[in-house]
Amino acid sequence: MPEAGRETLEVEGTVREALPNALFRVELAAGARTAVTAHVAGESSLLRLRPGDPVVVEIAPYDAGRGRIVRRR
Amino acid sequence: MSVQKSWSELQTMARACRIVVEALDALEAAAVPGVSTKEMDRIAREHIERAGARPAFLGYRGYPATLCISVNEEVVHGIPGPRKLREGDVVGLDLGCIVDGFFGDAARTVAVGRAGECAHRLMKVTRESLLAGIDVCRPGKRVGDIGHAVQTHAEGHGYSVVREFVGHGIGTSLHEEPQVPNYGPPGRRERLVPGMCLAIEPMVNVGGPEVEVLSDGWTAITRDRSLSAHFELSVAVTPFGPWILSEPYPYEQAEAANA
Repeated sequence: MPEAGRETLEVEGTVREALPNALFRVELAAGARTAVTAHVAGESSLLRLRPGDPVVVEIAPYDAGRGRIVRRR
Repeated sequence: MSVQKSWSELQTMARACRIVVEALDALEAAAVPGVSTKEMDRIAREHIERAGARPAFLGYRGYPATLCISVNEEVVHGIPGPRKLREGDVVGLDLGCIVDGFFGDAARTVAVGRAGECAHRLMKVTRESLLAGIDVCRPGKRVGDIGHAVQTHAEGHGYSVVREFVGHGIGTSLHEEPQVPNYGPPGRRERLVPGMCLAIEPMVNVGGPEVEVLSDGWTAITRDRSLSAHFELSVAVTPFGPWILSEPYPYEQAEAANA
């Protein structure tokens, strides 16, 4: 019997604020939470994100307040 | 980190897995046009109880039956009921049992009567994907290598792999760590060590990978209503390679040579 996988959700958002340690405050386009604190996924071009940049954030269901910026959109 | 099982625990797991596979043999023979899915469930339960085991799914998170029976576009977790199997149906049979506190879990997909070539090809490729996944169950490999092998084989034949449901560790409960997805990059996730037991279970669709769950809270179907197949075996990682627990221990000779 297969188990329901703990999938991550990909949602669209917009960078609101650059925080220390390459963290960003990202406002989400939709969903119950309106903003998450997100770190960037590897790619160095993502480190140069500025407020207002549109991005895609990956969110793990067990900590909806934190995310991972996967790419620009 | 999943629990490593001792040799005697693996023996118990093997007993459980053998009972499941024998019951699946009986169910495969019973899957003829006109038989209801409820009747199939009764056969499964009788077989398991006659073998001195207990059904593993009955009551699991409220699941109401012994067998999961998923017809055609149903992917997994189909609940037995009055529906009658018809000639040409493609039927997923997923079954688990408990022996002395240890779980066995296996599934296969069978054709009722004569099914189309498309159905047989899907079943063949899904089964091969499972075997490809099992083949990488060796110490030093990683859980991600299993998913990668499954996905590569299934998608190489133009099919898609379901993401929402995953294989799992198995032992003193039905679902243990780690999760075993049927997709993803190689070299990632947990390292495989001897004594680990995994239920590997590719769910492969003719159309897209998306699934939805019906309002009964269980039955998963393909979103595009395309045909889906599901094969599963419980496997132990040994120092010599994979041991499909429902089959005889395959490394007696290797062990003797090593000693």
